[in-house]
Amino acid sequence: MTDSPKIITTYDVLKQHGVSRRSFIKFCSMTAAALGLDYTMVPKIVEAMETKQRIPVLWLHGLECTCCSESFIRSSHPLVQDVIFNMISLDYDETLQAAAGHQAEEIRKKIIKEYPGQYILAVEGNAPTKDGGVYCTIAGESFVDILEETAEHAYAVVAWGSCASNGCVQAAAPNPTGAQPVHELITNKPVINVPGCPPIAEVMTGVLTYILTFGKLPELDRFKRPTMFYGQRIHDKCYRRSFFDAGQFVEQWDDDGARKGWCLYKMGCRGPMTYNSCSTIKWNNGVSFPIGSGHGCLGCSEDNFWDNGSFYNRLSSVPLPGVESTPEEIGKIAAVAAGVGVGAHAVSHIISKTIKNAKEKKAESKPEEKE
Amino acid sequence: MGDVVQPINPENVKGNPHEYFRRKYVWSWPIRIFHWVNAAAIISLFFTGLYISQPQLAPAGEAYNNFVMANVRMIHFASAFIFVINFFWRMYWFWMGSKYARSGFPFFWKKSWWQDLFRQVMDYIKLEKGHIHMGHNALGGLAYTFGVIGLGWLQILTGMAMYSESNPKGIIASLTGWVIPLSGGSFQVHMWHHLFAWGFIVFSIIHIYIVIYDGQVYKNGLVTSMVSGVKFYQEGDIDRDDWLK
Repeated sequence: MTDSPKIITTYDVLKQHGVSRRSFIKFCSMTAAALGLDYTMVPKIVEAMETKQRIPVLWLHGLECTCCSESFIRSSHPLVQDVIFNMISLDYDETLQAAAGHQAEEIRKKIIKEYPGQYILAVEGNAPTKDGGVYCTIAGESFVDILEETAEHAYAVVAWGSCASNGCVQAAAPNPTGAQPVHELITNKPVINVPGCPPIAEVMTGVLTYILTFGKLPELDRFKRPTMFYGQRIHDKCYRRSFFDAGQFVEQWDDDGARKGWCLYKMGCRGPMTYNSCSTIKWNNGVSFPIGSGHGCLGCSEDNFWDNGSFYNRLSSVPLPGVESTPEEIGKIAAVAAGVGVGAHAVSHIISKTIKNAKEKKAESKPEEKE
Repeated sequence: MGDVVQPINPENVKGNPHEYFRRKYVWSWPIRIFHWVNAAAIISLFFTGLYISQPQLAPAGEAYNNFVMANVRMIHFASAFIFVINFFWRMYWFWMGSKYARSGFPFFWKKSWWQDLFRQVMDYIKLEKGHIHMGHNALGGLAYTFGVIGLGWLQILTGMAMYSESNPKGIIASLTGWVIPLSGGSFQVHMWHHLFAWGFIVFSIIHIYIVIYDGQVYKNGLVTSMVSGVKFYQEGDIDRDDWLK
């Protein structure tokens, strides 16, 4: 090891800001709680914050609406200023950085060069791949190229939001720009999907905190989502679940059930199919979440959520060309057709039998006449 | 057809053997049990499934006094597990049972099976009594392969994939979880599960009709055979399950 640059830890930065040891430990405990860890893990977090270097983060924006950034800056546990000023070193982010133009692009290239294999690449939005990626260009370069160039030396890639994780609205049928989620473009690096439109602020900061604290990536499910935040469905922890089990459902937006806060299952709520933490962490510092406001979940953190038809139906139509019917309608038609077919067969059987019997009777009576 | 039951005279039997029916034990008890458990499970699954997709009862009062939806779901899931266990039991008996336990399999690599399939279709269309089978005929076997085994697999895979969503790290999820990304999300899995369920209704309508029709035309006691296990045949009837040999 030749003279390595002095490591600046999170604790160093906090000390510089006049944070006391007591407040620092409190902050670590809050972080542990936010990550769903028990109190025995607090010393580990303290140790990590005291000894580990702040992680450089490059935050790229592709085809997106910046709602992920808007969500991120509202994190309260941990506070986003703790995250971006203390825990991580957010070196490049088009919407949050002070630098602009060539200066900004230089920073990105510098981080790639100076911290190969150490920085985290956070991607908000996805990359259009059609026609050489011309539908999203930054500083004259296509976003696909920027993404691939930046991901090449990254430690890991964090895909913020449904755009980066699933494709979201720009990848919905017919996907005119050929937009593709990050994990389909970057296959040689670990990718963490943090879906949601946008993802919950505390989930976003929680994922970064976890990587900083433990120096490894969180446990992921088969869709590469961190299981600590995406391990359960909205429905599993929904406060209206008791109405679901009781069979008490809202039938119309202005009925008595809606006023009483009954289950929104029949109004097309996607809670039973959507993995996210909305029903536990909630939004805006725990104020509310869609179901809490009386509207069903749209399933925004699930793949293809734009392509499932109306948000207010329980069942989509059958995805066969030329078919616009629900399974219910098709099933009834098929059952009626089977019944008609069977009935026609039965009737023709009876008719042919009657004719046969009549012929036999004739045949029986004829020989008698001849004799 | 004589309306009066007459005591059997051995002399008559020898003289006019074609007028008398003989018994043959075809469906062993595991097959009969499978059939009725399967039928009961499908009926239960279909109606509870329809209810789950469109719950109709709206119990009054506080939520803690009611458990309607949860109970219907519980019946659906319990029936599903009975269906699955029964299904695998039948697959086991496919190998362990008599040749009639295997007679429904589509032996599509055998010419005799294709010939029988064609002949059976023509017999049903022409409303004629054709050749007889002690086991399944090729058309019946094909219908069971698609309408019971095929649909059964589709429903088990889609159903268990949805059931496992409450525990994505569990064993059922590791076995059937791949169905969800394959279908393009849980919402689509729900749709397919619902559509396939109607397949059982279409199958049942045709199945019940054909069994009654076949029993009428062939006088083989097809309906009661699923209770007693015994089918009837007459002297001179040829067992055409060629492909089983």
